[in-house]
Amino acid sequence: MTGGNTKKADLAFFRNLVQRQIRQDYLENITGFAWLVLQPLILLAVYAFVFTTIFKSRIPDSEVGFVAYLAVAFWPWTAFSESILKATHSITGNAALIGKVAFATEQLPLAMVCATFLMNMIGYVAVLLVLQLIGTDIHWLYLPLAIPVLVLLCLLACSIALFTSAIQVFVKDTGQILPPLMTLWFFMTPILYSPAQLPAGLANVMAWNPMNWFVFQLRELLLFGRINAGLTEVLTLLGVVALAALFLAFFRRFSGHFEDFF
Amino acid sequence: MTTLISMNGVGKVYPRVHRPWERMRAFASILAGHEPKDGAQVLTDIDLEVVRGQSLGIIGENGAGKSTLLKVMTGVIQPSRGTVRVNTSIAALLELGAGFQPEFSGLDNVRMSASIMGMSNTMVEQRMDEILAFADIGEYIHEPVKHYSSGMVVRLAFAVVTASRPEVLITDEVLAVGDESFQKKCIRWIERFLEDGGTLLMVSHSMYIVQKLCQRALWIHHGKIQQYGEVFPVTQSYLAWHEGRATEEKRLRDARRGEGGQYRIRKLELPGHDDGSGPGLRMGEDLHASLTLYSPDGRPPVVHVGIIRIDGTPVYGVTSDTDGAHPVKVDDHHFRYTIRFAAPGLLPGSYHLRGLAMDPEGIRVFDTQERLFQVNGNSIDVGIVRLDHEWEDPGSS
Repeated sequence: MTGGNTKKADLAFFRNLVQRQIRQDYLENITGFAWLVLQPLILLAVYAFVFTTIFKSRIPDSEVGFVAYLAVAFWPWTAFSESILKATHSITGNAALIGKVAFATEQLPLAMVCATFLMNMIGYVAVLLVLQLIGTDIHWLYLPLAIPVLVLLCLLACSIALFTSAIQVFVKDTGQILPPLMTLWFFMTPILYSPAQLPAGLANVMAWNPMNWFVFQLRELLLFGRINAGLTEVLTLLGVVALAALFLAFFRRFSGHFEDFF
Repeated sequence: MTTLISMNGVGKVYPRVHRPWERMRAFASILAGHEPKDGAQVLTDIDLEVVRGQSLGIIGENGAGKSTLLKVMTGVIQPSRGTVRVNTSIAALLELGAGFQPEFSGLDNVRMSASIMGMSNTMVEQRMDEILAFADIGEYIHEPVKHYSSGMVVRLAFAVVTASRPEVLITDEVLAVGDESFQKKCIRWIERFLEDGGTLLMVSHSMYIVQKLCQRALWIHHGKIQQYGEVFPVTQSYLAWHEGRATEEKRLRDARRGEGGQYRIRKLELPGHDDGSGPGLRMGEDLHASLTLYSPDGRPPVVHVGIIRIDGTPVYGVTSDTDGAHPVKVDDHHFRYTIRFAAPGLLPGSYHLRGLAMDPEGIRVFDTQERLFQVNGNSIDVGIVRLDHEWEDPGSS
């Protein structure tokens, strides 16, 4: 419907949206850019203290320390969860723009997810560097393989954000219901623990959680230097792409009607 | 002629969404792909084709559906039924400065809104000088937009539009904002845009601007097309309807006055002006009127004849006895006056011819009757009547 808007111009708009979001959320805060790296490191220090000194957590049958085991999975999760929670409000938050200008509205949640992901990835690299400095062997050679995993995680976040941001327009409580749901998802994913610590029956059920795969892959690649490529990887890839297509179709079905509900 | 935009049987219903269950029902009906069951019917059966080079003014009272029509046309909202086909680049100015981020500088906002309008970043940089020149806000361009006056926001937003060089420009009352000189600048720009073959769709309440910029006009009334055609007839009948509605009550009150009086107006006619569609005359044509009066005592009553513009402004009035005019005696109780106004020079619009029946002494008014008539023409002169004038010609001296 946007007529002659070229793909190139759409891309320019998307890039501007991402840049604007990054500037607004990260670069124009008082503490500025440094906070972006400092915040994850401080958090990491807190987790290290709580889980190793107070709870004395150990990862069974592993030569890797608990802090590294947690950190490698925790930052991608933060990027995932934070980007979905923020993007959920990206349609309702831009109501004034949507009612007045014709453009592909899906760009709003997608830009929010991408901006949040990009920024969190900077923190992630900082965390990996610190882990290396304090003595954990990070398999840097496998980083290029971890990137597609992270991109796929970003795509999953994008598709969920398309769904939640559209639903938020119709059901205003979505924004309130979502954070506890994400917390629940966090604890159902082996981030603070290893799947090996679960009872066998429960582990089988929880293996259906798609986040398991991402956490597993990142740990295998970056901590253990192991490559796992098989049917599961193909199925996960296909599953995420299918979900993205489904939720994009869902979003587009409603995008012309958002204004009816503002 | 290339068709740029075509709308077929377009209707729009805004669903009721105040209560949660209403929202859920509206949500379900979109998911299922059918129209909302109840809601506000804003547009009904709109068929419209916009061809290249056309300039169309969309008029109508508040809430008639004009803005919704533009939103459907530009794809901001989906119609509930019917189809909209657009094969062109549209610059839609539904609101100047929509999407400006107050915290960011003017320059950043220019880049952002230019990319919404379909300009790539390199294109924006190439045309930046042009944009800054049109906006003419000087060093403020580096300040956050929240420090701008509303006029500056409008200048900047319009400047971006001029740089986007659209094929179709759609504006919704945007010329109503900004100061006089900015409005003139915009109108000049739009005129040049039209000369260069651009296509314009504009919503405006200013008939002057519509008549100045548009060839055709579309009158939307209660979400339906009331009239569509050449700009002058459409705007004139819109004005007639609008003004007529405002004075309706007054007219009824006037008509009731004098009931029970003895001297009455039996007939008020405009012979020669009624072609079936209501009395009308061309601008500059003579106006004929014939009034038949009833007299209970057989003495010839005095008549007063006046012309009033439909908004109630008196144009001219004259009384038969001061002119020394005498009626034709039809029978013992009926007298007929006939009057001709030679080329009254009334400007296009709607008027009432009012007749007042007075006693033979010309002191008391007993009855009032009115007749609506139209003056048709393409003049955009301002006022009520055209005054004879001539311009001094520098070439002749």
